Amino acid sequence: MRCLLVEDDEMIGESLRAALRRHGFAADWVRDGRAADAVLASERFDAVLLDLGLPHKGGLDVLRTLRARGDATPVIVLTARDATADKVAGLDAGADDYLVKPFELDELLARLRAVGRRASGRAEPALQVADLRLDPATREVSRAGRPVLLSAREFALLQALMERPGAILSRAQLEDRLYGWGEELESNAISVYVHQLRKKIGDDRLHTVRGVGYYVGEPKGG
Amino acid sequence: MRSLRLRLFAFLLALASVAALAVGGATYVSVRGEADELFDYHLRQMALSLRDQGRIADDERAVLERAEFDYVVQVWSVDGGVLYSTVPAPVLPARAVLGFSTVQVNGAPWRIYAAATPLRIVQVGQPLAARRELAAAAAARSVLPIAVAAPIVGLAIWWLVGASLAPLARVVRALRERGVDALEPLPSQGLPSEVTPLIDGFNALLARLAAAFDAQRAFTADAAHELRSPLTALKLQLDLLHDARDDAERDDAVQRLRSGIERAHRMVEQLLALARAEPGAAAARAPVDLSQVARQAVSDTATLAVSLGGRVDLEAPADAMVDGDADALRSLARNLVDNALKYGGTPPHVHIHVEREGGVATLVVDDAGAGIPEAERERVFDRFHRREPGRGTGSGLGLAIVRAVARAHGGSVQLSNSPLGGLRVEVRLPVA
Repeated sequence: MRCLLVEDDEMIGESLRAALRRHGFAADWVRDGRAADAVLASERFDAVLLDLGLPHKGGLDVLRTLRARGDATPVIVLTARDATADKVAGLDAGADDYLVKPFELDELLARLRAVGRRASGRAEPALQVADLRLDPATREVSRAGRPVLLSAREFALLQALMERPGAILSRAQLEDRLYGWGEELESNAISVYVHQLRKKIGDDRLHTVRGVGYYVGEPKGG
Repeated sequence: MRSLRLRLFAFLLALASVAALAVGGATYVSVRGEADELFDYHLRQMALSLRDQGRIADDERAVLERAEFDYVVQVWSVDGGVLYSTVPAPVLPARAVLGFSTVQVNGAPWRIYAAATPLRIVQVGQPLAARRELAAAAAARSVLPIAVAAPIVGLAIWWLVGASLAPLARVVRALRERGVDALEPLPSQGLPSEVTPLIDGFNALLARLAAAFDAQRAFTADAAHELRSPLTALKLQLDLLHDARDDAERDDAVQRLRSGIERAHRMVEQLLALARAEPGAAAARAPVDLSQVARQAVSDTATLAVSLGGRVDLEAPADAMVDGDADALRSLARNLVDNALKYGGTPPHVHIHVEREGGVATLVVDDAGAGIPEAERERVFDRFHRREPGRGTGSGLGLAIVRAVARAHGGSVQLSNSPLGGLRVEVRLPVA
């Protein structure tokens, strides 16, 4: 999942970005409302973690702008304001969830997974394509009931593909999902991960469409 | 006697008693004086007329000898024999003094008038008790209206005081019935004008209390709110440490956690410094040298200055003694130099200057940073106000502390443009 972190506190932003990346999220971080507006207008994210007390433009205004554009990207509000009125205002402005600082990282991750699940219209937390199963919460993958051990990047790549079985994702789209800005990225990184994944889960599930991208599912006619 | 009612009542009673005594006494004295004159005249007239007429007629004798007639008449011959007496046994002394005299007869004072002819002496006497009784009766009559009126007036006062104080009782009831934290003003309508200032004063106190409570509440809420950010950072940093996969990550996480704790610590210190400088927090005062305070601030911030590659000039020749709280003043100066270093340009250039002019000691901190636009200069003193949120991890309390400390010392803080191009902060304190 690719997340945008909008947070003006240097320490929280840095630590949260590091923690998200460690848990397999591609996390980008902006420090004020105007930057958040600009990034959200030009790039696609699977979820936004939004602080409310932002310089230049408040979090609620960023949220309203986003929703006014008809953008349904899941937004979790992170804030130190815990009055009910604040929560109501946040949710009414279009937030999908609300977390009061200081929060537990585990809870934040669970909520991120939940909004991701809702966004893709699934009720079941685990992803399943034929006999291939991926659980975003426990980070477990199994093929025909046998567990498969994946690295964080491999897991993220497989998750991105399994969220929309049969849909072809380009290399650029996958790079976006896997990497935050400024992360070191080899030009053939995606092909390398695809190659490693095929070795672990079998090459009959992960398919290449030459010059277009990759998908997971039953092979498409021939 | 605390009760207004009882006090008024007792006062009235005392007043009525004194008035009755005075009126009765005056009446007695005046009636007695008049009675003396009148009866003396009677005595004399009677004696002279008996002397002149020589003998006493029978009808006269009958009148003189009636029991309720309190005069005694005795006629003596010159050789001492009783010629006539209205009472069976002569009571008036035989040794007659001519004219008026007051003598003791059987232990009681008598008034006597004696007149003489060559052959006999006529004495007319009257017991003085008769005159006293007359005066006492007159005095008693004059006191009577007071004695009758006093209880009536007392009851009236009793009722009037009660009725006048009834609105006060309403206030007391209203006070008793209100909740512990209700600080609304008390109703003051219908109160006697003597009591209104009391209630008004009380209401003013309540208003000040409410304002102080609100400020306190706001401060606590703000502080708790502001502490959430460092705590959030700490939690995340701890998670990172916990999830570290190798030594490099662990070292990095420990480093982050350390700076997170340092930041939380600074925030708490700053909150404490502000709370101590707030009005009402009395601190020990002693003579403090402002130059020494400035030197201390420079050495306190030396590490920061070095790490930023900054330049700090100190010009503190004057010994400027102020009467103050050394810790608070140190915190004031440190916050100023700290701010000047953080926002005083890259690399920062800070100039600190202490001087004394007349009764005012001044600490001036200039920097070469971007300064603060005039429109924002009042707002930067608000606690938790950060001009550039996200930049650095300041508490947003620095200037709030500076102003609170300056005010607590009877001084002031002023922001202006620095000759170095940035901000000038000028703290003026009265000298000791």
